Amino acid sequence: MPETASVAEPAVLEVRGVRRSYRDLVAVAGVDLYLARGEIHALVGLNGAGKTTLMRLMLGMARPESGLVRLNGRDISRCRAADWARVGHLIETPFAYPELTVTENVIASARLHGLQTLMAATAAEESISDLGLTPWASRPARGLSLGNRQRLGLACALAHRPDVLVLDEPTNGLDPRGVIIVRESLRKAAERGAAVLVSSHHLDEVSRVAHRITVMHGSVLVGSLDPGGLDLERRFFDMVYAAEEPLAGPVPKPGRRL
Amino acid sequence: MMRAVVAIEWLKLRRSRVVLTATAVLVFLLPGSAAAFMAAYLSGGDSQFAAKVSTLLNGRSWADYLGLIGQLSSVGALLSVGIVVCWTYGREFSDGTIGNLFALPISRARIAWAKGLVVLCWGVATSILGVLVAVLLGLALSLDATSAAEIAQAATMPIVVATLTTLLAVPLALVASAGRGYLPGVAALLAVVVVTQIVTTLGASPWFPWAAPALWSGLGGPALSAQVTSVQLAMPCLVGALGMSLCAWWWKHCEVV
Repeated sequence: MPETASVAEPAVLEVRGVRRSYRDLVAVAGVDLYLARGEIHALVGLNGAGKTTLMRLMLGMARPESGLVRLNGRDISRCRAADWARVGHLIETPFAYPELTVTENVIASARLHGLQTLMAATAAEESISDLGLTPWASRPARGLSLGNRQRLGLACALAHRPDVLVLDEPTNGLDPRGVIIVRESLRKAAERGAAVLVSSHHLDEVSRVAHRITVMHGSVLVGSLDPGGLDLERRFFDMVYAAEEPLAGPVPKPGRRL
Repeated sequence: MMRAVVAIEWLKLRRSRVVLTATAVLVFLLPGSAAAFMAAYLSGGDSQFAAKVSTLLNGRSWADYLGLIGQLSSVGALLSVGIVVCWTYGREFSDGTIGNLFALPISRARIAWAKGLVVLCWGVATSILGVLVAVLLGLALSLDATSAAEIAQAATMPIVVATLTTLLAVPLALVASAGRGYLPGVAALLAVVVVTQIVTTLGASPWFPWAAPALWSGLGGPALSAQVTSVQLAMPCLVGALGMSLCAWWWKHCEVV
């Protein structure tokens, strides 16, 4: 299901026809996707659908065999430092060096994104507070729980107030309070104009926060879901099953409720 | 930006337990061992230990004592610095943090250079500190010396050996990066130590860069030491520069898998 940015709302980050395989495994097969300013775009799909690979392609962590990835209208291989300075991401492993404290980690991330020392310290303090990490601010990251490590990764991704935010399953390992904190952080980022792409397995969660939901299955985008509609889970599985049928794959057809 | 990356890498290095252990080996264990050997040599006697020490030391001068530190450094510094190099680069892959070094306003090649710069500075600083500790221990042993200049001249050799050895450890950064973890780097380090020992045993050409500092320090005897030329001693600089350049190139083109 190809997507293109409208003329009125130019894409901040965009992929066109990207394809990537690993030996005989096609991870992403000709995907078009765009992120627009002020919008939270959720990418949902089963394990192995290709979400993480697609996000890696969008951030230059993997090179596409074909297709284009553009950031602010420029091919990412030719992006300037100023373009990357406005990008934040959390893909799988959080920015959490165990020997550094929570504050040092966030400051390090902010400085790597181009903030000067004093600005980085201020931004880190704010981000740590926003993510509810203040009680752990001076503790080494090695002692953090899984959920707090994830929150630290989010604090690092958000500290420099990016214009583009790419987050792979940001609520992984979080307790309900942490999920709400992340939700609010994403809303705040979108309200100040950031383009946000977030992948998730939690359909209820993305329905609360996303402006658009795109479904990925079998390395391709198979459709979009209305975040405000009823019974999102059933519509998701209907879409996945419909995409799976031509492949005759082993996806079980769910009942109305799983 | 480069200053920020160097500052961050320096902070990571300072906080590392691996680096702390390696620093302790270079600053205290190697000088302490040399001082213990010299003390045994000075005390004489007919113990088995004293007999073995007499094969390592030819006299009670500062040159003999600090030369022994140079010999110990040629292996000890390679192992210590090599492990630090492997950890510095390989941990980004072992810990999975490499992904956080993408999509940044600074290139990964410059991050790789910053890591190399920090490790090199640390290696040189620890070797100087180690020699300073050795000098203090030597003064406590009341070694023969005519002047402070003589001590300073003798101290130059172990510092140069440790610095050259630090440069010889740099290519391990490429192995740890391409191997996506510090263990492949450590395996390569052990291979380098074994091959160097074999080369040294089989006649030890000083044209083999990893053997040159050890031979110059006297590990192969005074005759071989005198044969080592300045060109051969400069080879580790070439090895370090080449290893670092290849590592930075690899970092520039690597992907997250």
